[in-house]
Amino acid sequence: MKYFICLLFAFLSFYSNAQECVSRLSGHVHNSFTHENLDRATITIVELNRVKITNNRGDFVFDSLCNGNYTIRVVYNQQDSIFQSISVYGNRHLDIDLPLLQNTLSGITVSAQRTHQVTGIKKELSGRELEETRGQTLGEALSRINGVSMLQTGATISKPVIHGLHGSRILTINNGVRQEGQQWGNEHAPEIDPFIANRLTVIKGVEELRYGSDAIGGVILVDPRPLRNLPGYQAELNTVYFSNNRQYVVSAQYEQQLTKRPEFTYRLQGTLKKGANTTTPHYRLNNTGNEEKNFSLSGVYRKNRFISELYYSFFDTRIGLFEGSHIGNLTDLEAAIASDKPDPVFTGENTYRIGRPYQRVQHHLVKSRSVFQTAGNHRFSFLLAAQFNDRQEFDVTRSQTTTRPQLDLGIFTVTEELTWETAGPVHFNRITGLTAMQQQNRYSGRYFIPDYNSNSWGLYHIERWNHLAWDAQAGIRIDHKNISTSRITGGGAVQEKNDFQYTTFASSLNIGNRIDEHWRVNGTLTLSNRAPHVNELLSNGIHHGTSTYEQGNRDLKPERSLNFSFNNTFTSESGNVILEGSFYNNNIKNFIYLQPKPDEPVLTIAGAFPKNVYEQADVRLRGFDLLASFRPFQNFEWNNKYSLLRAKNNNINDWLIRMPSDRFQSEFIYNLTDRKKIKNAYISTEAIYVWEQTRVPDESNGKQDYKLPPSGYFLWNADVSLSVLAGKFPLIFGIGLRNILNTTYRDYLNAMRYFTDEAGRNIQFRLRIPINQTF
Amino acid sequence: MKQNRFLLALLSMTFIFSACEKDDGEGNDEEVITTLSVKLTPVGGGATSTFSFDDPDGPGGIAPTVDAIQLAANTVYNVSLELFNKTLNPPANLTTEISGEAEAHRFYFEPSASGNIQVTGLDLDGANIPLGLNSVWSTGNAANGTMKIVLRHYSGNPPNKAVSDPVNSNKSSTDIEVTFNTVVN
Repeated sequence: MKYFICLLFAFLSFYSNAQECVSRLSGHVHNSFTHENLDRATITIVELNRVKITNNRGDFVFDSLCNGNYTIRVVYNQQDSIFQSISVYGNRHLDIDLPLLQNTLSGITVSAQRTHQVTGIKKELSGRELEETRGQTLGEALSRINGVSMLQTGATISKPVIHGLHGSRILTINNGVRQEGQQWGNEHAPEIDPFIANRLTVIKGVEELRYGSDAIGGVILVDPRPLRNLPGYQAELNTVYFSNNRQYVVSAQYEQQLTKRPEFTYRLQGTLKKGANTTTPHYRLNNTGNEEKNFSLSGVYRKNRFISELYYSFFDTRIGLFEGSHIGNLTDLEAAIASDKPDPVFTGENTYRIGRPYQRVQHHLVKSRSVFQTAGNHRFSFLLAAQFNDRQEFDVTRSQTTTRPQLDLGIFTVTEELTWETAGPVHFNRITGLTAMQQQNRYSGRYFIPDYNSNSWGLYHIERWNHLAWDAQAGIRIDHKNISTSRITGGGAVQEKNDFQYTTFASSLNIGNRIDEHWRVNGTLTLSNRAPHVNELLSNGIHHGTSTYEQGNRDLKPERSLNFSFNNTFTSESGNVILEGSFYNNNIKNFIYLQPKPDEPVLTIAGAFPKNVYEQADVRLRGFDLLASFRPFQNFEWNNKYSLLRAKNNNINDWLIRMPSDRFQSEFIYNLTDRKKIKNAYISTEAIYVWEQTRVPDESNGKQDYKLPPSGYFLWNADVSLSVLAGKFPLIFGIGLRNILNTTYRDYLNAMRYFTDEAGRNIQFRLRIPINQTF
Repeated sequence: MKQNRFLLALLSMTFIFSACEKDDGEGNDEEVITTLSVKLTPVGGGATSTFSFDDPDGPGGIAPTVDAIQLAANTVYNVSLELFNKTLNPPANLTTEISGEAEAHRFYFEPSASGNIQVTGLDLDGANIPLGLNSVWSTGNAANGTMKIVLRHYSGNPPNKAVSDPVNSNKSSTDIEVTFNTVVN
């Protein structure tokens, strides 16, 4: 790896004498309320007096720019022009969200989102695609991104899986802060309200280093819409109803910039969600309801070159777990798995009531971020954040009168981060950051992971360079972490303490080239290291969800991943054909996984449990994601996605367990021509085929799984949406149909596949009302 | 100024968070059963003997100890079961918890055919359905065998426990499943 970095710097220093102006500013303009692409918007670089007009996809490109700071002016529909200052170093992409209202264009506010300047792998979900996922979990929304799948426990708990990796191998960045909950559990979903986000992004490669050296699977960014920067207010009301489980969702936000104090803007946001029991095509699953109450407050103070932001969010969920999956011992588990469908005592109730077993999770996040831009080209930012996550699991208990949770985990985390961004010599731009984290974990009840205190610090540096058709980014990062654990057993008699220390290193190099105007390639090589998590080191107990006895291993070494990916993007002149291919190969040394030990059952008073022990092996994950998008006629789009992954344990030359199978999705969209009162109407239909996972661990050396993977399945979905102007404000209606054919199927990555079918037909009704008033 | 206010807010948050800190250790895990004791008293007089499945550190860790149950041939015993959680200090007796919720619990006894032990006379819950905390064991001639004792728990509300429920009924789940070796001599 060192070799590559040296090579890069040698390469860079060779070029850094050149003085040509070759930066490129590309961008996209869209209406943030309707998600409509805005064509014929005029973009001007004021200093250079250069003008571009967006095409019918809302895109614009300026080539051959010198690096520097510019003011851009955006004009749409001959209305007020909006100015925005930006800095351009190398290739810069700018997404401009215009919160316009149809026909009532009283003014334009531009909120150019500081999009993440990523030239490696970056995939995002926003606009129409994000809107169709409203009311669903964050994991479900993310699974619309090609290459992302989800690990589920029933219909209400889902975790994102990127190229086969999940849990602590993925970092989730919630509004700029690394989310710290109990992500090690397969039934622990991210504690984030998806309504906070107007953009979900998955990144891999150099930019990962800003968040940690341990992002072996990738980084998920959950970004809210930037606060408005124009006096006035705006509000939005979202309501969603799902027919399958009578789930309703109401989410509202209000934001205002004071006319008298225009340097101050604030936003209030809140979501309520409540769902009853989910039904499969043949039976309804008892105790699968959920409820969620979230809110957030944010305020920003902007004065000259100083921006200070304060944010608080609270997430509170209660999720019922299907009773028929709560198993006393192995005999019960095998009996439940052997039957085709759950026993009638566990099905048929249509109620919002949630009983045991259920989980309750609360997450608080408070964050302050201040940014100062010097008169020169320096930008400093300081982030201070505190998070508290409380997870309580309520099992079925012997005594009906018990009200306590059987497992109660509280984790308190404080993070600090200082970053310095600056333009280097010509063609260069760089960022340096220093981070620190203090964490405290406490538990009561059943033992699964011990109490621990953890301190860590990290230091990273990223260089970005571009010249002519070439661009390159390189970064390095070092993290040090120490963990002190303590467990008290024997009724307080014995204290068991363990200390661990890890120093992990990461580096990444990305090189991109525009072969011509239409074709872009880039290659990324990333080395990352992940220290074992406390649960992998010290868990010791019965995992009730799987009826296995899980045992940690104190001797685990950090995982080391060397990931190479190669991406190709082709866009035709007209924009009517887009082809994308991402190919990756991820070699992970000391990959930590649970190895079943069929010969060493653990005898307990409830019978013998199979033992699973954390072990390490060298594995290889490789695959590709393809996208082909066509627009054969005006108003008609055809999008196809295919993803494939092969994951092998090289030590024993066998497949890895619980890896996503191949998946193909094809979607047709017909956009209706706008009328006077009805705009942005479209009809779409989507077919999804998921192959059976045939690549599973060999069972000839002992039992690895309780049940063979389910067969492949086909799903048919559809969506209709339109925006009607009612008086001053638009009403945006949508109807989504999921599993139209009411297909009975099970998914390999759903832990409930052992017991129940997946949810049946589900009709989603959406209504969104954006309100905007500028003074 | 703004930063100061924020720090103040942060400090007060820290205070609130530390106020809801967890109790240390596993002291309050009332769900653990570590020990099942079988007390046998010969009908018509004789000393009571006790045999146990004992796993004082709970699941995992040190392996449990299982006594072999010794009985005299051709004898009738009154048998009572006792349950304990020895991870607590002092150990908790869970027997009354089971008898208090008799409608939601049921013991099953499965002697091996070769062991020459017959189990009858299980005590009943309030709805006259077997509970099994107390039972009567009758031995035949000298033999070696096993006795499997299973405690099933009905989590439904109401529990819907019925006389005809088999030991592997889907209405109930396993709290205890222990096999003792038995020696009749």
